Amino acid sequence: MMFRHSSNHRSVTTAPWQLVCGLALGIASGLAGCGTGPKAEFSYREATQKMIPVARKAIKDTLEDGFGTPHNLVAWERFPVAYGGAKASVVAAAEGVQPASKTISVSVEGDVSKLASGASVLWLTGSRAGEKAAADTVDTYDTKTKTLTWSGSAEPAPGVGDVLIVGFGHALQKGRAVYMKNCMHCHGVSGDGNGSTAQFLNPRPRDYRLGVFKFTSTLSAEKVSRDDLHRVVKYGIPGTYMPSFLLLGEEETKSVVEYVRWLAMRGEFEKRTDDDLGDFTEDSIVDTVKKSKTAFDAAKVAYDATLKAGDKDAVKPDAPIKLTDARKIATEAFAKFQASDLDQAVEDTASFLAEAWTRADDEASRIAPTVPRVADDAASRERGRLLYMSDKTKCYTCHGLLGKGNGAATEDFWKKPGTEELYPRRGLHDAWGNPLQPRNLTLGQYRGGRRPVDVFRRLYAGIKGTPMPGFGKTALKDEEIWDIVNFVMSLQYQSPQPAKTNAGGHVVATDMPEAK
Amino acid sequence: MGKLWSLFFVFSAVIAVALCWFAPDWNWWFPGDGKAHSTLGGKIDDLFHLILIIVAVTFIGTQAALGYVLWRGATIKPEEKALFSHGSHSLEVIWTIVPSAVLLFIALYQLDVWAQFRIKGAIRDSHGKMVRPEPVAELTARQFEWRIRYPAKGKPLQPKPQPDDIYSVNELHIPSGRPVEVTLRTDDVQHAIFIPELRIKQDAVASLKIPVWFDALDNRDYEMLCAELCGWGHYKMKAKVVARSDEDFDAWKEQASAEQFDDGFRKPVEAK
Repeated sequence: MMFRHSSNHRSVTTAPWQLVCGLALGIASGLAGCGTGPKAEFSYREATQKMIPVARKAIKDTLEDGFGTPHNLVAWERFPVAYGGAKASVVAAAEGVQPASKTISVSVEGDVSKLASGASVLWLTGSRAGEKAAADTVDTYDTKTKTLTWSGSAEPAPGVGDVLIVGFGHALQKGRAVYMKNCMHCHGVSGDGNGSTAQFLNPRPRDYRLGVFKFTSTLSAEKVSRDDLHRVVKYGIPGTYMPSFLLLGEEETKSVVEYVRWLAMRGEFEKRTDDDLGDFTEDSIVDTVKKSKTAFDAAKVAYDATLKAGDKDAVKPDAPIKLTDARKIATEAFAKFQASDLDQAVEDTASFLAEAWTRADDEASRIAPTVPRVADDAASRERGRLLYMSDKTKCYTCHGLLGKGNGAATEDFWKKPGTEELYPRRGLHDAWGNPLQPRNLTLGQYRGGRRPVDVFRRLYAGIKGTPMPGFGKTALKDEEIWDIVNFVMSLQYQSPQPAKTNAGGHVVATDMPEAK
Repeated sequence: MGKLWSLFFVFSAVIAVALCWFAPDWNWWFPGDGKAHSTLGGKIDDLFHLILIIVAVTFIGTQAALGYVLWRGATIKPEEKALFSHGSHSLEVIWTIVPSAVLLFIALYQLDVWAQFRIKGAIRDSHGKMVRPEPVAELTARQFEWRIRYPAKGKPLQPKPQPDDIYSVNELHIPSGRPVEVTLRTDDVQHAIFIPELRIKQDAVASLKIPVWFDALDNRDYEMLCAELCGWGHYKMKAKVVARSDEDFDAWKEQASAEQFDDGFRKPVEAK
């Protein structure tokens, strides 16, 4: 086990909890498997790969600084991840502090079992804090006398009141082991949903790197909470290939949830940095050259015209920029950006993500119905049905008149978000670009959970990363959402009579609400 | 050299018998604590032991005969003539009839156990009464988990899902101490339910609903696995059977039902 204090990291400040340390691979059980196999590596986004070389290198360096590699994880203390470890502080005891024998008396908060021999020691305050004590580990710990001896240098001596963490990063490493054993072959080493078995699956495994998870209990603008991920790991997602890991054990589940959150933060950090550096892509350079050429051509035509007209004073337009020059200019511009603004951009992204992921676990981010479930009777279901068919919700456009998930929207061609380009296939798509079927509501299969509150939350906040919108607070009152919940949850148990059709196949709106 | 080989074959047989003899002490035998925890499981173990004894007697007898023949052949005097016995009609009759009789005996003797496992639940007993155990759950295997549907407390299991049904995943709850029926289905490929400590193993076949009848004698958890290689995630299909007394089983149902029908509404705590 070793620590790598990353002294160069831009975001490290003097606050004791904001530090970056490397967590060397203690045991590679999860990575090894049968045979050695290829070395596990974090992959980079396509957008990163398309950057100009200097920008690409800067992004990769930033990512490696902040997150490390699968074999040498870096726990960036900025992010709200429970990296694990027991906090201890040096107390004045009978023996006192004995630097020569490298013995101290400590008081430990948290799990004493972390103080096993060989566990890493990280000094947060005092004279040993900082890079000098990088390689300290626990030598022995006596639970009775609460004395700890460390292996490493004897000097400088720690003082009374110094704070240290033992076994820092323990939980993240454990999460990695669980993840590599159970999740990696579908979700991929980097959490990009591109593991070796992913190609056999439909729907595709989740790509965490957008930082978006579909089934959450949080408001639509918020991230997924720990509890939500915990539920998904425990109970699986019916109707998909995500199985239940109920028997994984509480500690393993918790640590793998932390690891998944950490991977999601890493992925979204990369995405947002890519977005920040959008001016430094190969594409944008080619685009600049192209624009310059077009501008030159236009100017040339005007110039030639003026020459012909006999105007001798016409100014000859500048030659269009060459690709090599454009690249050189962009490289220089990036060097300037890197010297002045990159640190701030990384800093902003990190604080944004840290805040968003912290907020996700706040009670205020959780959707809690303000009224109990409306009695599930025929009247409520009928009100729900009318809302389902209304233009207020337009549920039927996707989920179909009979709730079979075959609404008219599934026959349309849709635009890719942020562009004018159409998807090549008919039907809806999710944020990851995969084709998406609206849920067939008559199957009784609830991916996000079958509790009424789960269905309520789907309607209240929508499903993140999909076209399913949220209706809470604005469009619908909680009572109305409950009516729709009652209607939707009853669909499985009735075989609704298909509406009468004309010879031409048009639905006769005999039971539609009157437009008011 | 011949003597060495005869001793080698005798000793390997002795080692095999010794290993089997001590295997239970080293926990190389039945899973868990070594006992069957179901009524039928005890009978299956008895059958196993009976067959083991028959096989052991045969094994020891044939190995002893083999050792004797090898030893005699190795120590035969040059002037002694070997006995040529090929084509002995009576010998062939004996070694055809004796194993056939043994096999026929086993086939008849095990009938009752097989009938209890597969048939008796579906037919009337000698008093004309159906003894089919109560269906407690529908167990659906899928790649790669077990999804389970139970009727609401005090209600019978219906073939189709009901609004008040209770669902669980990878945890099969059953009442202990009495025979139960679990309807076994699969959503995709072939799977097999295997509860080693209850000695239950049954394939799940697409489009079939197969009733599995068993009981669990003790109030405890039992390991449950898939015993049919069903795909790359086969190893993930570990689950458990939670056998509890009737009261605890009902209490679990109430609690599971309360969780499943949770509407998420909590009364705000009133300020004091």
